[in-house]
Amino acid sequence: MPPIIEVKDLLQVIRKKSVFNGVSLEVQAGECFGLFGNKSAGKTALLHILAGIDRFTAGSVRIMGYDIRKTERFKSHLGLVTQERSLFQDLKVCENLDFIAALKKADSQNIRQVVEQLELQSYLNEPVETLDEGVYQRLALACALVNAPKLLLIDELIDGLDFHSYKLIAKAIKNYLSTGGTCLWAFHRVKFSAYMDRIGWLDKGEIIVYRPGELIKEYRNIFQINEKHKLLH
Amino acid sequence: MEQLNFSKVVIIMFKQGLSVMYREITYMWRDRGLRNLLLIGPLLGLFLFYATYSAQAIKDIPTAIVCLDRSDTARQLVEDMKNAEYLKVIAYPPNFQDLEELIKNGRVVVGIVIPEDLGQKVALHRQATVLVAVDGSNMIYATNAASAVMTVTHTISARAGINALVSNGINFSQAQEAYQGINIREEPWFNPTLNYAYFLVLALTLNIWQQCCTLVASMNVIGETGRRSWYQIKASGISVFKLFFSKSIVQVTMFMLLVLPIYIISYIFLHIPMHCNFGLLLLFTLAFTLALHSIGTLASSLSHSAIDSIRLGMLIALPSFILSGYTWPMESMPHYLQQAVKILPQTWFFQGINYLTFKNPGPAFIGHYFLILSLTAVTCYGVAAIVTLRK
Repeated sequence: MPPIIEVKDLLQVIRKKSVFNGVSLEVQAGECFGLFGNKSAGKTALLHILAGIDRFTAGSVRIMGYDIRKTERFKSHLGLVTQERSLFQDLKVCENLDFIAALKKADSQNIRQVVEQLELQSYLNEPVETLDEGVYQRLALACALVNAPKLLLIDELIDGLDFHSYKLIAKAIKNYLSTGGTCLWAFHRVKFSAYMDRIGWLDKGEIIVYRPGELIKEYRNIFQINEKHKLLH
Repeated sequence: MEQLNFSKVVIIMFKQGLSVMYREITYMWRDRGLRNLLLIGPLLGLFLFYATYSAQAIKDIPTAIVCLDRSDTARQLVEDMKNAEYLKVIAYPPNFQDLEELIKNGRVVVGIVIPEDLGQKVALHRQATVLVAVDGSNMIYATNAASAVMTVTHTISARAGINALVSNGINFSQAQEAYQGINIREEPWFNPTLNYAYFLVLALTLNIWQQCCTLVASMNVIGETGRRSWYQIKASGISVFKLFFSKSIVQVTMFMLLVLPIYIISYIFLHIPMHCNFGLLLLFTLAFTLALHSIGTLASSLSHSAIDSIRLGMLIALPSFILSGYTWPMESMPHYLQQAVKILPQTWFFQGINYLTFKNPGPAFIGHYFLILSLTAVTCYGVAAIVTLRK
């Protein structure tokens, strides 16, 4: 079975500055792959390339077997939660769900399902711009799941949320994975690595893949070395 | 089964376009500032312009007469000026300096100075000069004032000439005939009363309308690509063509719905002439609307921000009415400017509106206007599509 995500020698140069120097990775179906790195390591840039939002300089990217430079067919199997508030701010919660479902040609029955799953019933007539962070992120995930995607791309979703929203989001993602969905999840706090099957550490335009335990170990090593280095000087 | 799937796909595709349209209407309606501007702006303009030009012609032009002569001829001249149709004598300053002051402070527009030897010169059949000073600081006022004075002075001058001939022994009827040898009859066509309201109200209102439309159109592309929600659109896989086509349908329909009451009120309630076929007028307006919308769309696809796009749109829309040749003949512009303004759809629209409403030239005459507006639309939409697809 071909991998859901297949990135080979990805090169991205923006304004003469290299963002990726030949990144390669594969994500298999049903896997929850973490994309770890400091802020500005390029996690969002990689997610935007995978979602077909941004172009890239060289290399090849295949999603579900589709070469994303040649076709946009893969987008109908995609769900995206962005780091920035990218829902339609002038629309209400229900209008956002309806509109995004229509854009993705999703079955409108899915809307009811995601609304119930993420407990959005009482917010349906609220304008999106007035939602607090927890409810907003629940809605963002609901919109991403509305077309029952095969691949879910998540950018920094559960950082700084209220406990109730955190619980609902974690449960919804777990459900999604249990039904065979694949997830690529960008995060910058090492504590979230426990959710992932594998983690790619993105740094200086390159990626190294770890198991969750290995990542924590490696992270601690680097952190302790740095601390010792600071103490010595 | 396959047919069922095909129908389902078609319905979903159609629903996608409808959803974009619905969202566009929602956006326009919820943006209170934009909504008020579109709904009230052009109609308010129509009423204000109609009120401004409701007098239809400039009458009662404030006039002052400095009469330095006490002769009957001078008195007759003053009387003639008082009876002139468009002049209103409001002051009799005693000298030229006072008259100058009245014109300077704007209390009178026309100043007439009758010299002290007018009666004597006329009696001796010599050339007499009456000074008519017109305040030229307001061109429209000055042109009307000069025209009004000319009508009176022509009559007075002719009368003095006849009197001179009579005193030289020619009988009165012969003298009169000599002055009436060539009867020059002025007959303005299409606007017989030279009514300002007929000429300006609709054009000025349409100018406001086209500016409002440009404002909306110049947000067409950047209004999407400049927002973070563009990520959702890009990731959804909807074709850029379908997205902007659906949005453009709403915007163009909206522009046409906004112009409709302007035409109806102008024609039915304000009795502004509209000699052409109403269907042709609407079709012509639709061609212009598409051209205008395409220019706004192009501006919005080239700009890096919404503000830049609006600035660019307004840079085109604001001077376009003056440059269109509607108020100042294009033939009187420098050659290079004449060629440049022909690129603007506003030039063809305002010229076309003038022909259609006053002269009803028929579809054959207006055909090349349609062609140019359509070419503008095709070119601008085409370039905008290429630029937007690269975003």
